[in-house]
Amino acid sequence: MLRKYIHSKTTLAFLFTALVCLQSFAQDWDIPANKKSKNSYFPFTKETIEDGEGLFLKNCQSCHGNLGKDNSLKSLKPTPPDLAGAKTQERTDGDLFYIITTGRLIMPSFKTIIAEEDRWDLVSYIRSLNKKYIQVLSKNDPSKSKLVVVKMSFDSLSYKLRVDVKANEKEGVIALKDAEVFLFAERYFGRLQIDSTHHTNNDGVAFFSFPKDLPGDKNGNINLVVTVGDEVYGEIEAAKSLKIGVPTDKPSLTEKRAIWNTVTKAPIWLMLTYTLILLGVGAFLLYIVFSLMKIKKLGKE
Amino acid sequence: MAKNLDMLEQTKLDKITSDLLRHIRMNKSFVLWLSFLGLALVVCIYAYTIQLKEGLSVTGLRDYVSWGMYIGNFIFFVATSLVGMLISAVLGLSGQKWAAPLARIAEFIALAFAAVAGLVIVMDMGRPERLLNVMLFARIQSPIVWDITVVITYVAISALLLYLPLIPDIKMCADKLTNIHPLLRKLYRILALNWKGTPEQAKLLKKSTRILAIMIIPVALAIHTVTSWLFASTTRVGWDSSIFGPYFVTGAFVSGAAAVIIAMFFYRTNFKLKDYITELHFDKMGKLLVLLSLVYLYFNLNEFMVPGYKMKKFDAIHLRELFTGAHALLFWSVQIFGLILPILLLFFKKMRKPAPILIIAIFVILGAWFKRYLIVVPTLEHPFLPIQNVPLNFKFYAPTLVETMITIAPIILVLIIITILSKLFPIVPIQETIEHLEESKK
Amino acid sequence: MSEQNEQPKKKSRRDFIQQIGILGVGSAIAGSAVWAGINYDKKKKAGDRIKVLTAENELLEIDKNDTTKIKKSKYDNLTLLQKEGRVGIPGKRWVMVVDLSKCKNARKCMSACQHAHHLRPEQHHINVLKMQESKNTPPFYMAKPCQHCDNPPCVAVCPVDATYKRPDGIVLIDNERCIGCRFCIAACPYSARVFHWTTPLNEEEDKDKVYNVELNVPQRKGTVSKCLFSADRLREGKMPYCVSACPNGVYYFGDENEDAVTNGTTKETVRFQKLLADNAGYRLMPELGTNPRVYYLPPKNKSYPFQEGDKSEAEEHLDNNNG
Repeated sequence: MLRKYIHSKTTLAFLFTALVCLQSFAQDWDIPANKKSKNSYFPFTKETIEDGEGLFLKNCQSCHGNLGKDNSLKSLKPTPPDLAGAKTQERTDGDLFYIITTGRLIMPSFKTIIAEEDRWDLVSYIRSLNKKYIQVLSKNDPSKSKLVVVKMSFDSLSYKLRVDVKANEKEGVIALKDAEVFLFAERYFGRLQIDSTHHTNNDGVAFFSFPKDLPGDKNGNINLVVTVGDEVYGEIEAAKSLKIGVPTDKPSLTEKRAIWNTVTKAPIWLMLTYTLILLGVGAFLLYIVFSLMKIKKLGKE
Repeated sequence: MAKNLDMLEQTKLDKITSDLLRHIRMNKSFVLWLSFLGLALVVCIYAYTIQLKEGLSVTGLRDYVSWGMYIGNFIFFVATSLVGMLISAVLGLSGQKWAAPLARIAEFIALAFAAVAGLVIVMDMGRPERLLNVMLFARIQSPIVWDITVVITYVAISALLLYLPLIPDIKMCADKLTNIHPLLRKLYRILALNWKGTPEQAKLLKKSTRILAIMIIPVALAIHTVTSWLFASTTRVGWDSSIFGPYFVTGAFVSGAAAVIIAMFFYRTNFKLKDYITELHFDKMGKLLVLLSLVYLYFNLNEFMVPGYKMKKFDAIHLRELFTGAHALLFWSVQIFGLILPILLLFFKKMRKPAPILIIAIFVILGAWFKRYLIVVPTLEHPFLPIQNVPLNFKFYAPTLVETMITIAPIILVLIIITILSKLFPIVPIQETIEHLEESKK
Repeated sequence: MSEQNEQPKKKSRRDFIQQIGILGVGSAIAGSAVWAGINYDKKKKAGDRIKVLTAENELLEIDKNDTTKIKKSKYDNLTLLQKEGRVGIPGKRWVMVVDLSKCKNARKCMSACQHAHHLRPEQHHINVLKMQESKNTPPFYMAKPCQHCDNPPCVAVCPVDATYKRPDGIVLIDNERCIGCRFCIAACPYSARVFHWTTPLNEEEDKDKVYNVELNVPQRKGTVSKCLFSADRLREGKMPYCVSACPNGVYYFGDENEDAVTNGTTKETVRFQKLLADNAGYRLMPELGTNPRVYYLPPKNKSYPFQEGDKSEAEEHLDNNNG
């Protein structure tokens, strides 16, 4: 690749960019320590591997190829590794989870696309060929997420959406502090993130500024989804439909009369012209035929 | 009337009648000629069955040049059929008496070419068995629907315009022809519509003919204007032109006039009509051809000069391809031998004699055919976006043998129709010739 | 009951079953079956044996109690598919955004499309072109599907309403009706249409399939085929075949009415208007007034250089321009 550049008449600038690129390829993932040590709270089983495989084929296989087959898409730079390879398998579960979650360079982020549990399924699948692998389980209790209640309310004056995250513990209601909160609006093919990612304050509250121009359905309803990520309570998702979008009821694109529309929606002038010409010519032709019949009749007498 | 005529006059009229009816008979050369045409047609129809079986892949057409010789042929057919309107309607209504003996030839050509044009378009269809869909699901916004409507109308009016003035002559055929099959005589009797030549009948016939002659003018203009809109209704370079209607119509008159000249020559020599289709007629037709060609040249100038002056990106590609590129040889041959040289030559009286004008007319009509090819193909070879990721034969159109045979088929069919028509009906209107003779004496 | 009396009844019953067959269209089948059941019971109280025609054209007589109503797949129902294919998905206005800066000429879109629509290697519903606009402007790769114009020149000229624009913006072709005149091919300024000059690729395998106008399979000889924005996938909430197959995040697909498009590779959903505004989005040949539903983001800061070997092909089109 590099030699090709030098031989070709590309400018120095090109070379420079290539070098910069190579440098950035060389840089490895920069994974925070607390993410590195993160682990799945459920054990990897046959079922999780199967689920993971399905997700892998849909989201990862097109670039990384099949596990252990070394058939990743080599034309990409940096080249996506075969995920059964040693380099990947040496990483911690937390590393893999982080990489899937955040992405880097050409590797997309699946944070908002694949749910947390499914991302762990993916990790379990990636580990499935590694015989030496021994899973370390998270000490967090997954059932704790069920205690969390997420409330959404909208303030039309400030155009802000307030998200309250509380957990109903036995000892009373506890606000989740510094939890990661995402707000999404549901669209046909996926979730559109609203505002940026926020963290809850000491009262377990996060505010999102909501765009004034986001289309809703014909009444202005928008299906909103909030996901909360907390160190202790895990990932929580809540949905609510609010009437805060722009009511959108656009007519169908084929409503107006047009040359390109169906015959029933042809322009009136065209229909009239066509019909009138047909009738006019038809009438004349009928007259001619009638005259011929008359000529014949006259001849008989 | 007959009372005023002396014996000499009577024999003269008899001679005219017998002269003009003479060619209506079966003879060896006719049978030979027809069987030759029939055989050729069978071969071409066989080629079409190959296309039906294998699909249009047997042609040189592909996704980019998806219209080719068939469509060029179609425009040529529609164009040539326009001459019926010009000679029998325009010249007839404007009192150009000299054109009267040529009217029927022009109408034969018009009817044959227009009727076969419909077939030509079917040959181009990928799914000819779905032809009825055009009636069932017709979208009146589509120029194809207009074209089909107007072609059918034109065929009907042309047939009537041929038939009406024929009625008195058919009567003569029925009465005077000896040696014909009884069934044919019966056919003449039916077609003659009890014609007795009474003043009432004559008046009615004259009025109807006049209406038809007037009506055919807008319909004929429409048929070729609409055909030009098949192209002008797109945004493609070389087609997206606002003068395409008149450009096509004037071009059509040129090829039609040439076709009439060729037909005149053959009828005159083969049917021994030298006294009726005279050198004067060739001279006049020559002058008419010059006039029409000059008008056509004027439209050519507009069509190429205006975009050529600006050389807009894609216009430039198209024009360069025509002027100096892959199609240059054909383009300049067509323009020089099919248009400019004929104009120059026909200015000389010597060149308007039957033999030279026949050769010129053949060049004109060949030029007319290839001009249609040049209208259809080069535009499609240069779409707005590059042609890539396809085999080489998608980029350059080369007609195949099967395609050529299928293109020739309708031409043979037209010859067959014209031959049969001229063996059934007098080629020079008898009744009119007699009337003119009487009028000129008064 | 005598044998003679039984005979006509049997016949009428068979007719009746045939009628149900005709009536039972898609979702209506359940309802009509119930209705038929009631009527049937009225006719003959102890309905014991009925005749059924199997898919293999065998006529069997079985006990009525042994029959189970099966829900017919909608993909076996031509009438429903044709109707659905004309109506489209209500309330939608599909749009595609093609980010030229990300295209690496991987051509996964082309192969996924050809695979889905059973096309030959030279038949492209979507074609990745090597483009260069002028001598001093750089060459780039440009994926070109049908533009699904809002003023479609191809639909305008169709004589039989075989190609049509749907309320949701998609331009489809009904190859059950197409007469193969190829006027649409001549009229399309984007060269987006292909024709079946010869037998379609999988004709033999597809011959028993019911025609789905939203997939245009089975393809038919002598008819036109074109990009369909994968109308069949949109109905299932999935993105088009090409969009999902792209490994480089070139394509966004979505609904203009929702002002959102989703990237086929990263699955990231963004605001449609903002994406265009931030990246100077444009459409092909706006001067023609065709109003395409496909938008392009310019090839700025390309992530993949234009390959040396492709330059001559890109210049071919250019040479013609500059003489």
